Amino acid sequence: MNMQFFRSEEALSEWLGSQDATRGAVLSLSTLWDLSQRWYHNRLSLDYYGRTLEQVQQIFKEIKLTSSFWTM
Amino acid sequence: MNGDKVWEIRTFIYQHFAETTCPPHVDEVASRFSLSHDEAVSAYRELHQRHALYLKPNTHEILMANPFSGVPTPFQVHANDRTYFANCAWDALGIPAALHTDAEIEAACAQNGELIRLRVSNRKVQGSEVLVHFLVPFRDWYNDLTYT
Repeated sequence: MNMQFFRSEEALSEWLGSQDATRGAVLSLSTLWDLSQRWYHNRLSLDYYGRTLEQVQQIFKEIKLTSSFWTM
Repeated sequence: MNGDKVWEIRTFIYQHFAETTCPPHVDEVASRFSLSHDEAVSAYRELHQRHALYLKPNTHEILMANPFSGVPTPFQVHANDRTYFANCAWDALGIPAALHTDAEIEAACAQNGELIRLRVSNRKVQGSEVLVHFLVPFRDWYNDLTYT
């Protein structure tokens, strides 16, 4: 469960230090909401059959998540 | 069992989460779809294999059907007069996105436990100065989804 909320950059830095972890990707709340709507809007539909890798990459691209963190 | 039936079961599971906040027991699925217990278990395992939901290890109990969690978590989503549990920060916003509804979200700062309250209203999210950190890169998400 390592997709987490942080109150500030300082709190995130402290947490990374305490976990001896490397910084991953930081999203604003508005970007996460944008991602959530694109990712989950049809999850309850009978027409949802999962996604191809290409479809996933297209969603990331649409909200400008294009660094190597978001690619295979 | 054909693929269409398995996918109908997936949708039933999601609708059950939406209506009750909990996953259905495998025997409820068996009854709903006129299946034997073993056939319903087989459908659950196939959906797990397809990453459509995630079972608790060595069981046929649903741990996650993203964005819903089958067990209590620190990510609470109040919507439609119910309280749902999400799997992570992303899924906390994923629940109102999936339900197409307003929501109040209660979670905590991962560093200091400080309460974080967010509101989704009229398809917009409100929250002050909150950051979201993804530790695991996309290429590794499905190696260990609970850790991710």
